Amino acid sequence: MVKQVKNAVKAAKRKLHTGRRGNPGNAAKYITRNKALNRLQIKLPEFRRLCILKGIHPREPKKKFEGQNKTYYHVKDINFLLHEPLLEKSREIRAYEKKITKARAKYNTDLAHRLQNNRPSFTLDHLVKERYPSFIDAVRDLEDPLTMIHLFATLPADTTHSVPFERVHSCRRLSLEWQAYVTRTHSLRKIFVSVKGIYYQVEVSGQKITYLTPHVLNQVLPEDVDFRVMLTFAEFYETLLGFVNFKLYHSLGLNYPPVLDPRLEQAAAELYALMKDLAGGTTSAPLLEDASAKEDDAPVSVDEQQSLMEAENKEKRIAESQARLASLQDRLKQIEKEKEKPQDVPVQVKTEAMDVDDVIEDEDLETRTCRRLFQNLTFFLGREVPRESLLFVIRSFGGAVSWDGDGAPFPENDEVITHQIVDRPTQGHKFLSRHYVQPQWVYDCANNRILLPTEPYLLGRIPPPHLSPFVDNEAEGHVPEYADTIKRLRLAANQQLAPLPGSESGIDEGELLVAAAARRREDLEAEKERELAAMEKSYAEDLRRELAGKSFSGEEEALADVPESEVLPPPKEDDPKDMAKMMLSRNKRNLYQAMEMSNTKKKEEVKLIKERKRKADEKERKKKTRTM
Amino acid sequence: MAASDDDALQVLSGDDQDDGAYSSDFEEEEADSGEEEADLDEEEGDFDDEDEEDEDSDEEDGAADGNVEANDSANHEEIREALLDYIGNGNAGADGDEESDDREAADESDSSEDEAPPRNTVGEIPLEFYKDEEHIGYDRAGRKLKKQARKDQLDSFLDRSDDPKDWHKVYDEYNDEYVELTKEEMGMISRIRQGKLPHAEVDAYQPYVDWFDWDGKGHPLSNAPEPKRRFIPSKWEAKKVVKLVRALRKGWIKLDKPKEKPRFYLMWGDDLKVNEKTANGLAYIPAPKAKLPGHEESYNPPVEYIPSEEEINSYQLMYEEDRPKFIPKKFDSLRHVPAYAEFIKEIFERCLDLYLCPRTRKKRLNIDPDSLLPKLPKPKDLQPYPTTCFLEYKGHTGAVSSISADPTGEWLLSGSRDGTVRVWEVQTGRCKKVWDMGGSVFCVAWNPNPALPVVAIAVSNDVVLLDPEVGDEEVQLNIAKLLAVQPSTSEPTENTPLIGWKRHDKLRGIQLSHQQNVVRVSWHNKGDYFVSVSPDGNNRAVLVHQLSKQQSQNPFRKHHGRVADVLFHPARPFMFVATKMHVRVYNLAKQELSKKLITGLQEISSMALHSGGDNLILGSKGAKLCWFDMDLSVKPYKTIKNHKEDINAVAFHKSYPLFASCSDDLSTHVFHGMVYSDLMQNPLIVPLKILHGHQKGERSPSGSSMLQSYPATSPGVSDIKFHPTQPWLFTAGADSVIKLFCN
Repeated sequence: MVKQVKNAVKAAKRKLHTGRRGNPGNAAKYITRNKALNRLQIKLPEFRRLCILKGIHPREPKKKFEGQNKTYYHVKDINFLLHEPLLEKSREIRAYEKKITKARAKYNTDLAHRLQNNRPSFTLDHLVKERYPSFIDAVRDLEDPLTMIHLFATLPADTTHSVPFERVHSCRRLSLEWQAYVTRTHSLRKIFVSVKGIYYQVEVSGQKITYLTPHVLNQVLPEDVDFRVMLTFAEFYETLLGFVNFKLYHSLGLNYPPVLDPRLEQAAAELYALMKDLAGGTTSAPLLEDASAKEDDAPVSVDEQQSLMEAENKEKRIAESQARLASLQDRLKQIEKEKEKPQDVPVQVKTEAMDVDDVIEDEDLETRTCRRLFQNLTFFLGREVPRESLLFVIRSFGGAVSWDGDGAPFPENDEVITHQIVDRPTQGHKFLSRHYVQPQWVYDCANNRILLPTEPYLLGRIPPPHLSPFVDNEAEGHVPEYADTIKRLRLAANQQLAPLPGSESGIDEGELLVAAAARRREDLEAEKERELAAMEKSYAEDLRRELAGKSFSGEEEALADVPESEVLPPPKEDDPKDMAKMMLSRNKRNLYQAMEMSNTKKKEEVKLIKERKRKADEKERKKKTRTM
Repeated sequence: MAASDDDALQVLSGDDQDDGAYSSDFEEEEADSGEEEADLDEEEGDFDDEDEEDEDSDEEDGAADGNVEANDSANHEEIREALLDYIGNGNAGADGDEESDDREAADESDSSEDEAPPRNTVGEIPLEFYKDEEHIGYDRAGRKLKKQARKDQLDSFLDRSDDPKDWHKVYDEYNDEYVELTKEEMGMISRIRQGKLPHAEVDAYQPYVDWFDWDGKGHPLSNAPEPKRRFIPSKWEAKKVVKLVRALRKGWIKLDKPKEKPRFYLMWGDDLKVNEKTANGLAYIPAPKAKLPGHEESYNPPVEYIPSEEEINSYQLMYEEDRPKFIPKKFDSLRHVPAYAEFIKEIFERCLDLYLCPRTRKKRLNIDPDSLLPKLPKPKDLQPYPTTCFLEYKGHTGAVSSISADPTGEWLLSGSRDGTVRVWEVQTGRCKKVWDMGGSVFCVAWNPNPALPVVAIAVSNDVVLLDPEVGDEEVQLNIAKLLAVQPSTSEPTENTPLIGWKRHDKLRGIQLSHQQNVVRVSWHNKGDYFVSVSPDGNNRAVLVHQLSKQQSQNPFRKHHGRVADVLFHPARPFMFVATKMHVRVYNLAKQELSKKLITGLQEISSMALHSGGDNLILGSKGAKLCWFDMDLSVKPYKTIKNHKEDINAVAFHKSYPLFASCSDDLSTHVFHGMVYSDLMQNPLIVPLKILHGHQKGERSPSGSSMLQSYPATSPGVSDIKFHPTQPWLFTAGADSVIKLFCN
């Protein structure tokens, strides 16, 4: 075998060098798929698997020497595959499988069993290192892996499609670890809830990674999807993400497979457990096992608080000792529970917030704003909202969260809760001290980095449109109304924050934000009126200018409004562009036309959108007048 | 086994102490396995017992019976063997009898030591050795045993006859004596001879007594002694152990499970170096990233992003590939959002793209399209050129097909489909003269020689030469002379003339009748020769006429395609013949083809020559304009697709660097076309102005006339001519108006 391989490589090399002097031709550089299969002596599914794992893709030769409908690979790629240890390993595994089937066929059950248990295994570590020689390379290519891993984390383990439960399990674990890291470093930047799922944009090592996660609902496995391909990808991505996670945790000085609190894990709150682990036990709030017990449980002595603070100071502790410490604390609590008298929970929640408030060194502005957005806000999630997503977002932006369910850090009737996230038509009992908002409020606040007024998002209302944070509205040509509103709010918030640059404590700032938001709400109406007046004014001015024959602002819109009879036919000026267009060569002309076409198409789309908007506004106005 | 193991292990531990742990482990395991085996045996035994218990007792009895029978048959065999011995001895002859007796006696002497042993001690040697000796052997004391004296025949006979017992005496050769058989022995012999057992007292068929107690026992226990191999160490086991030990030492066998290594480790260091090349030395082409979602993908998009019902319905009318793949939809609340059914499929397709799609680096131009446009000098700097409509010459009732300006620039000649030819005063727009030609006029041409103001008019099949009556009297006289048809001087010659130069009856002029429609007439610069083109005339498509001699000639035997236009070179004896796709340049002096210009156009419609004669422009039906620099190449120097519809005419200015083209799209394009005298510098072409103003005329139906190839008039601007001295442009339109554009 080895000899064969060597010969094949030699032949390939010879071929590569026998072309024209200097540069080998296409025929020497490229090889069709079937020829590659022959050279590698493997079957197509195996070849595809290897290609997926090695990241080898077909290429487009300048001249397709064997026909248009063939797939071409680079000879170097194929020779690269030829040396792949996995190739030999897969052969070995195939031979081994034959042994097992043989033993089974001969009813040699114990041999079959033994063989089954001692299967040769393989790892993809070397492929990760080979494909991504440096960490930044891996981070750059992380979008597809994250999407895939998050998808597999929600898939049902299914035997008919051979989705093994181990894979699902490990994908879930990896996705949670990733989210825990993002939360810890506050590197979540943008969130977008689309029909397809939820997009998250994360900034890791200076790279912006946008990935899509499905809505947490039951996924139906379609029949026309080849799950073997998906699983092969998932296999590689799993390894990759594992190593990336390790590196990321390592950079924080944490031990990699983080230790989960088994109680939280059982309560299906792994993400919270992970976050807790990463936060180093300082944020460990007692679980809501039973309400009464919790109340006793909460007021852990001042001594313990002290010890926790001390522990916090030692930043370079390893996670294992943390876990041990956490369990020790639990035991301590158990003991002290019997001795001490209850106080109240919020003290701890406050300390949690205080702990987070420490100014972290070498943190950029963006991260700081993200970290402080929800600071001093405490959220409670209803049963009906996507818990994991909201937990992820709120914690990433510095808020404290609890939820309705097992393993929650504090109960619903806690005084300290400022916002309750609900998504139901009506709410039975309402606390006056808190806002009942829909989940979209959290996402919109996070995207815009300000606390938006909660009115439009209140319980039972249809929330304002949820805008994509990935769109540059100005470049696109159409700015949605709500985007304008948000922009104004942001400006206002910035101005109000500006005169107080000295405010060091996050609490003040946060309060300021809230206060600013409240003021803004009041000002909103007045502002709108002012805006209307301004618009009218500008319109009048435009009219005057137009009559004077000058150019005016908002040319197109104004044109549309003015009746045609009033508009003088424009003097037929020769467009210098038309002249220049004549002189283009054919290739450039085609290119120019294609560009123009795409531009006009875009403009058409924008026009269509504007038209729709106009119609909708008209409808609204009519409705209003009718009701009046 | 255990002992051998111990030995091997002792050796092992003696060799190196490090393996001690292993060896002890191994021992334990061995012991374990031994126990297991024992257990297994026991189990098996139990299993067997159970089986037997299950079986019927009847069967057991049967088995026992079988055993008995087997024993019986064994007995029989023993007896038969003994008998055979006897018989063999008996058959051996009388000599052997004595010996056998002796042996028997020896056998029997086991019990009675007193009986006399054989005297001779030589042993079992051939007795021939002693044949010639006097003794037969030695006795126990080593004394020689003397042979008995041989009795002669007679004596022995006598003895035999004397002794009545002689017949049961047997000679023992070994001891050299006669042995007397006893009565029992005799009986034995006789019984053997009869085929009976030798001993009368032995009953061969006595009833079998089974001494073994079968009840409750599986099988008879063997009381065979323990074999030796049970007490010595097994060689094979020792070998096996050595093998195992070696495997252990070399690490081929690992007893304890390998330690679970942590699956992930620190793979990358801290360097943030970016690698552009993959491990196989090829440039890494990252997969294109997925497009980021816009507002329309939101679960709660702004109203304006949601298409109305009609729009959604209209998608059905679109082609499959044009249809939008994603239709925005609004949900009132997050809890109403369902799972996206296509999610897995979309991810799967992305996977397929990742490993099945060929990847190439493509340069994506993300630039303003205007940056592609060439930088041209401003038209303002290239003045003068015609910009505005100054005058309109109205009077024709049909589409104006052709115009031509007088070389002095005072007069303008125009021919129309209404059958009239008019002469206009350029400055005022006054119509000086109208000729009714009695047929539709295709082309008019004013003689470029200012001394000979003659006009050539192509009217259906004829070319008519007329006097526009614009010169002074002397000129008029000259022209009258020229236009007087000479009495056919060529009559005496044998050939009938190609074309008859006849006097035009109605108008004072000359009529040249062709066989087909004449669509073009063009003069040589000197004004003596002119050429007429009738595209359907086959080999007579192009005819050259000489005004002074009133002669016509056909310079070409044959044309390569349908001739569209013909021009004379302004200075040198060249002729340009434009067929459908090529322009051929003939040297008239040498009478040969000098050049063939490859235009790459669909169909040439018109042609114009620069006054220098080295640059040529062509207008085509495909709305393209070609500039040829004939010094440069036979291919176009520049092809400009400026018009939207067919180009009808092109024109060069005689003195200004201007040229123009007019087309059916009602526009006339004016260009700056500078030809430099420096051969190294290419001509500069700058579009200057697009002139509008003509109305759409009606397209005359082609082929409605009896002539098959009656040329159709164009609906747009049909002809243009520059003013000979001023930067002015005349345009003639199908709307029967002629316009003058001035700078």
